[in-house]
Amino acid sequence: MQVQSTDRVMLVGNVLSGEDVQLMLTASGYQLLRFNDSYHAIGVVLEDPPDFLVLEKGFENGGDINVLNAVKGCLQKTNIPILLVVTEPDISDIDWLVYSVDDFLVQPVPPAHFIARINLARARMARVFDNNPLSRLPGNTSILRTIQDVIEKDEKYGVCYVDIDNFKPYNDRYGFAQGDDVILMVARIMVNVVEESARNDSFVGHVGGDDFLFIVPEDKVKKTCEKMLANFEVVRKMFLSPEDLKAGCYIEKNRQGTETRFELLSLSIAVVLTGVQSFSHSAEVSNQAMQVKHYVKKLAGSNYMIDRRQKRKED
Amino acid sequence: MIHDKKAEFRKALREVKNLPTLPGIVAKLSRMAEDPDTTTEQMGKLISKDHILSAKLLKLVNSAFYGFPQKISSLSSAIILLGFNVIKSLIISASIFELMETSDLELWEHSLGTAVVANVMAKRLDITDPEEVSTAGLIHDIGKVAIKMELPEEYDKICNIVEMKQISFREAELLVLGLDHAEVGGWLAKSWFLPKKLVEPIAYHHAPKKATDETLACAILHFSDVVIRGLGYGHGADIWVPPLSKKAFEELGVGADDFDEILDEVDEKLWDVKGFSIDIQQEQEREE
Repeated sequence: MQVQSTDRVMLVGNVLSGEDVQLMLTASGYQLLRFNDSYHAIGVVLEDPPDFLVLEKGFENGGDINVLNAVKGCLQKTNIPILLVVTEPDISDIDWLVYSVDDFLVQPVPPAHFIARINLARARMARVFDNNPLSRLPGNTSILRTIQDVIEKDEKYGVCYVDIDNFKPYNDRYGFAQGDDVILMVARIMVNVVEESARNDSFVGHVGGDDFLFIVPEDKVKKTCEKMLANFEVVRKMFLSPEDLKAGCYIEKNRQGTETRFELLSLSIAVVLTGVQSFSHSAEVSNQAMQVKHYVKKLAGSNYMIDRRQKRKED
Repeated sequence: MIHDKKAEFRKALREVKNLPTLPGIVAKLSRMAEDPDTTTEQMGKLISKDHILSAKLLKLVNSAFYGFPQKISSLSSAIILLGFNVIKSLIISASIFELMETSDLELWEHSLGTAVVANVMAKRLDITDPEEVSTAGLIHDIGKVAIKMELPEEYDKICNIVEMKQISFREAELLVLGLDHAEVGGWLAKSWFLPKKLVEPIAYHHAPKKATDETLACAILHFSDVVIRGLGYGHGADIWVPPLSKKAFEELGVGADDFDEILDEVDEKLWDVKGFSIDIQQEQEREE
């Protein structure tokens, strides 16, 4: 994991006071904010929160808990990793419900360990922080960041929006629990196909509900889409009743007695290529994808559509 | 007394962990897993030729951790959902477990053969997903493997009785254990959260009229088991062809003319399987 911008590490307490700590943090691309009193620290937490918090346990007779709560009490800050610095005799008696931290370090802390733990916390955060609770795939923050990353790269990528067709009527007919299983099923199919076609140079995210996204290098787009649709076709049989499968659709009556015909589950993939147009912001990519999606959703069954329209950048 | 004993067997069999895999297949799969160009399908194709690995894969995908309990009844779906990395770990773990003996080859061939016949029948009868039925065919005798692994003394006793009294393996099981491999397989499938579409055919492949939900699948599997035994491809530790249930046979609606067609089709497909079996045995010898 590379450090992209300078992340700020807030250190509250009298521990790790050596100059080497400061130097090593700076060398690793972090900025150190050292506080010897909890009040100033809390002020900064409220107004300009750091990216990491390192806290000395027992500091200022309860001051540590106050700093902790300032971070944990705010929804937007619950993702800040907190490391607690403890002493050896303390370890077995710590109430981890009070000290709801992410990791701990035992004094004396070798500076190299300290840096490694911060790096680890950072990597872990990138992994889990905005993940979708159902699919455990990265959510919108990671999605937008990754789109921005790939439009800034020289290499060409396909940003592919996946959406389950007829998901709402499916939920009505089979129930929400079964609907959740379909979401999970699509998530797993996507991850497995993308991982196999583009191992490291790829991304899979869950926008929310029945909307997903994946990113693969441009030359892998076609193959990945085709494989995904083929796999979906195989597995969806496990999630549809034999009667519906045989009929190829189902008819539901509404309260007025009118019959509506619903198609079975299918997938639509709308693809925007970063090499065909020049985008400067991730929102442009998603807007463009919505247009493509509009077309691909009109087609019957599972389909993918790659937008190859060239447009000059308007600025 | 008998009851206590049955409960004891039941407990031992339910906890079966080591299901031995064919060394030839494991060796081949391990090599494939190391090759970066191997696709999930290629591995899946090979796994679907092994009744034990297939059962393990289905157990995994229907476990609570992966999120699809009692849902996934076809192997190709299981493979798609688990993906390359999980399958790779499964193969690594299979290779450290006990490996099959040469004497187990017959049961492996019988399982594969049953799957072939079941697939032919399911397609003929226009079943929505024929693969589900052939998957059931592949793993239908998993109970036999469990008995051999978990109750080795009783297993030897059963084998002796088969030889001495010249009765079928199943009759001997009933004498020694008070239960048969179909029942054991049924429990296993159930405790692994496999879907009913698989549990019933496994549990009732010798007693298809007991089926409540999957009558047709049970009838197909019962018929396929009998046919492949009759054809003499592989065997299930005895030389007898199990009796064919009249009710199940009627359920299939197969006439004498159809029979020739079915046998021709099965014969053709068995050629592939036989070729593969020779491959694997050679691989095995190379390993030894």
